[in-house]
Amino acid sequence: MDFNALGACFTTPACVVTQATSGLIVGMLLFLVAAGLTLIFGVLKIVNFAHGTFYMLGGYVAYSAYAATDSYALAVLAGAVAMALFGVLFERVLMSRVYGSNVLMQLLVCYAVVLIFDDIVKIVWGPEFRAMGMPAAFQVPPLFIAGGVVPPFYAVLIGIAALIAIVLSLGLSRTRLGKTVRAAAVNPQMVSALGVNTTVLFAIVFAIGGGLAGLAGALAGPVRSLSPGMGFSILIEGFIVTVIGGMGSIAGAMVAALVIGLVRGFGTIGFPGFTDGLIYIVMIGILVLRPQGLFGRPL
Amino acid sequence: MNVEINHLTKSFGGVRAIDDVSLAFPSGSLSAIIGPNGAGKTTFFNLISGAFIADSGEVLLDREDILQLSKTERMRRGIGRAFQVASCFPTMTVRANLMAAVTAHAGRWASLSHRFPSPGMRERADDVMEFVGLTDVADVEANILSHGDQKLLDIAIALALEPKVLLLDEPTAGMGPDERWRMIERVRALWERRKLTLIFIEHDMDIVFKVASSIRVLCYGKVLAEGTPDQIRNNQAVIDAYLGAEENAT
Amino acid sequence: MKRNPASRDALFAAIVLILLLAIPILHRSPAFEDFIIRLSAMALFATSLNLLVGTTGMVSFGHGMFYGFGAYAFGLTMQLTELSLPVAALFAVALTTIAALVVGAICVRLSTDYFAFITLAVQMLFFSVIVSWQSLTGGDQGLRGGIPRRHIFGFDLGSQLHLYQFCAIVAVLGLLALRHVSMSPFGNTLRMIRDNAERASFVGIVLWRARLLAFTIAGGFAGMGGVLAALFVSGAYPELADWPNSGQAIFAVMLGGINSFLGPVLGAMILLALNDLVQRFTEYHGLVLGVVILAFALGLRRGVLDFIHLVWSKRAR
Repeated sequence: MDFNALGACFTTPACVVTQATSGLIVGMLLFLVAAGLTLIFGVLKIVNFAHGTFYMLGGYVAYSAYAATDSYALAVLAGAVAMALFGVLFERVLMSRVYGSNVLMQLLVCYAVVLIFDDIVKIVWGPEFRAMGMPAAFQVPPLFIAGGVVPPFYAVLIGIAALIAIVLSLGLSRTRLGKTVRAAAVNPQMVSALGVNTTVLFAIVFAIGGGLAGLAGALAGPVRSLSPGMGFSILIEGFIVTVIGGMGSIAGAMVAALVIGLVRGFGTIGFPGFTDGLIYIVMIGILVLRPQGLFGRPL
Repeated sequence: MNVEINHLTKSFGGVRAIDDVSLAFPSGSLSAIIGPNGAGKTTFFNLISGAFIADSGEVLLDREDILQLSKTERMRRGIGRAFQVASCFPTMTVRANLMAAVTAHAGRWASLSHRFPSPGMRERADDVMEFVGLTDVADVEANILSHGDQKLLDIAIALALEPKVLLLDEPTAGMGPDERWRMIERVRALWERRKLTLIFIEHDMDIVFKVASSIRVLCYGKVLAEGTPDQIRNNQAVIDAYLGAEENAT
Repeated sequence: MKRNPASRDALFAAIVLILLLAIPILHRSPAFEDFIIRLSAMALFATSLNLLVGTTGMVSFGHGMFYGFGAYAFGLTMQLTELSLPVAALFAVALTTIAALVVGAICVRLSTDYFAFITLAVQMLFFSVIVSWQSLTGGDQGLRGGIPRRHIFGFDLGSQLHLYQFCAIVAVLGLLALRHVSMSPFGNTLRMIRDNAERASFVGIVLWRARLLAFTIAGGFAGMGGVLAALFVSGAYPELADWPNSGQAIFAVMLGGINSFLGPVLGAMILLALNDLVQRFTEYHGLVLGVVILAFALGLRRGVLDFIHLVWSKRAR
């Protein structure tokens, strides 16, 4: 533990800006992943242990789309849409068969998908690391904010993710679909009794959840490299965020994701090598003191 | 063992489920609790057995206030409970269910020193089984028992714990008319043989008036009336309260 | 004469052990002995997990932490002290049991979903402690230096044959002990809690105490498996305590059958054999394993032994 370095950083605006923005990147990407996870859990009461695979595949699809079209925008779109479709397929073909079962059965199905696609990715794209690289549009000089270095892409990514967060929360609170989703999260039987086609609804929820994860994977292309099996650590992080924020709460996911992101951003300075451990301790603390998470419904 | 309830009150989020209820159940009595749906009858049982803790008031067992005691401690003092929806151990046979109950009662539930069942438990379980009349389904798994047998098993589990007070929540719920009489007869035979203080919730008025020696009427969490069957039958307030509810009574 | 199920179990165990010990005398096969050694550790690990999952209905995602803890505790005890192997092994198991008690005390009061999450969190925490405490544990390289003084009562556990014999004996005795727990009044109590926790508490069972005891016992036996694993890998690696290892145990339990005592052992056998077999033919063993798991989960919808049991009892009716 290096509290001196941490203190030194907090008193230097440049360091604060640099670490904060890198933390915000992590946080925003985490938010997108966690939002999908928490939405799926909120409505279907399923923990989607394959969520990391959506993130991974979104990244790889975007990589290939970028290689083919040289357009970052198209690549991101491709990643998100592909994963939304994959989400629907996953739900219809596999998850719908284990809705009533033991959570371990659901875990088993999800993990089987993880294993299968980790290998499929290896077959299609090869086992080595792949990287989209920074698209030409963003290869511009970095911004200097308060002395700190901020690559413009970071600002763009944070902006896009924030925009999506707003669209998502507006969508959930203002649109008819959004209200149905929220109602289903509270009382699925009622929603079904009111004539809503829950089959379609569940597929849509998985489409949105998967799409968000795929979007995150695609957006992260320029700043993260791709490798088979990369989904697992994202899944765990997403998991932690949803637990801390509260299962089923988008706002909770945002707050928790930002907190975790910032902890990572500054943790690499203060607790090098043990940042993970710190985060797990926070998660355990929340589960002991307030199991429903910061914004979750009280048990 | 007599049970005395004094000024018991319990609210759930602003709704007074039980409102200043005072009732006395002398030792060895056979009382019925009746009242329209939502009157608070099951909540009342929960407050006595310890599933809920009352906001205020006293629950006295042989003059001892048990309000602070946990479910387990109250059970050990002699309060037994059977449930509206039969609550047993579905993957175990009837005999296994009862052996489990008597083993727990004997304090042996954490024993690691020998194989289950502990010595003597099987005999005790068989006794309870016979008492209640379930011997011919002894080796049937609880989840494939008929509804009536499941309710009997539920009562048997409560009896295995050698209660002095037995709270039966709608023992005849879900049964056809003949089965209902058979069940309540068995309940009455149980009460006579074991000299229990038996309190049961019931919706079938014929049964209540025939079987109970005293009746307490609850309505909106308050005691509306109490007395012998004749007194209750002629009590105007009770009749009024029930005119709407009688259509819903099973 | 009343049939005595306890003697039946003991007899079965004795026969299995005698067979296992006899096989190498008749024919040496390094592959088979290697398999049994690895199976011994995994069987204890998976069966102890099933005491929680199948018997009590407690889904723990972090059971691997006790497996890893046992391995590291044993390795470190052997390296840092002069204790003999059997004493060190018992000490490691005892330490793991205490660790399970402490972790259980934190986790056990939580409701089902959250219990799963918190056990996972504690395991991940333990894992990151192991990886970052390099001075003690060797970090992500694992415990360096191997296991010294690898002999017990004159047998050198460096030799595969002796290690095989040791693991077979420990595993069979360990499983027999777990069987005893499962068939004791306490084991029955756990099944009551699984079936109907509310009624169980109405019958006088103190739920958290029973769950804590189950968690502690399960942790201890997982630690025993970890000791065997440490002997096998000649040290200890963080992978033993990482989530994929907990996942392996969960799969072994589900594949073999959560409602049969030997289900987890069978599941472990299937998983190990599958891994070995597939690795020989293709490097894409994740793909094959994933497909097999899907076939089980969506097709059989229950573990192998449970399926067999179901078919058997349907035929009897």
